[in-house]
Amino acid sequence: MSEFIFVYRGDQSALSHEQATEYRQRWINWISKLGENGHLVDRGQPLLPTGKVVDGKRNIVTDGPYAETKDVVGGYSLIEAKDLDHAVEISAGCPVFEVAGLVEIRPVIKLGV
Amino acid sequence: MSEFIYLFRGGDSSGSPEQMQQQMQKWTDWAKDLGAGGHLRGGGPLEKDGKVVHGIQKSVTDGPYLEEKDFVGGYMLIEAGDLNEAADLSKGCPIFDSGGRVEIRPVLKINM
Repeated sequence: MSEFIFVYRGDQSALSHEQATEYRQRWINWISKLGENGHLVDRGQPLLPTGKVVDGKRNIVTDGPYAETKDVVGGYSLIEAKDLDHAVEISAGCPVFEVAGLVEIRPVIKLGV
Repeated sequence: MSEFIYLFRGGDSSGSPEQMQQQMQKWTDWAKDLGAGGHLRGGGPLEKDGKVVHGIQKSVTDGPYLEEKDFVGGYMLIEAGDLNEAADLSKGCPIFDSGGRVEIRPVLKINM
């Protein structure tokens, strides 16, 4: 088995209050199911749509997340799968697709430290 | 204390084996410093490949999302007093040596 990061990118700002509540519940259900199926190493964290970007070489600090709204990283999870294709299959039920978002799937580099 | 994610973006990871080893050592030292200060909760580097599953059709494309100067090369989970402290703590990051950036994002606390 190998480890992969799922990076969730999607814009849920158009959802109504009720839709947002349902959407959040579908995320909780999906994450719970990943755990039950033994795919979840770390459920990861949802991120607030705020932040800062530090460009240290030029000594510039800007407010807000990096990238446009549709591309902003909204959260991540650490997943265990046989290989990259298996990780793609596991992503299929992710609620982010309902808001026309995407899941970026990236293999984790194993460190010996 | 609050939790933040560092997303490491861009930076040039190419170079001679000696340069890459030096760069790796800088990352290790920096991570140790963050750990010694009680700020590091987890994270790690990511391979440069991957796949992206898009939208309602769930179409699949190869490679990471965004081009090399913008894509996420690794992440860390950090504990800091506030966003400004998290930004200050990032300033020792070796990614700046090669022109990269650190995106700092507050974690949304949920109970599940």
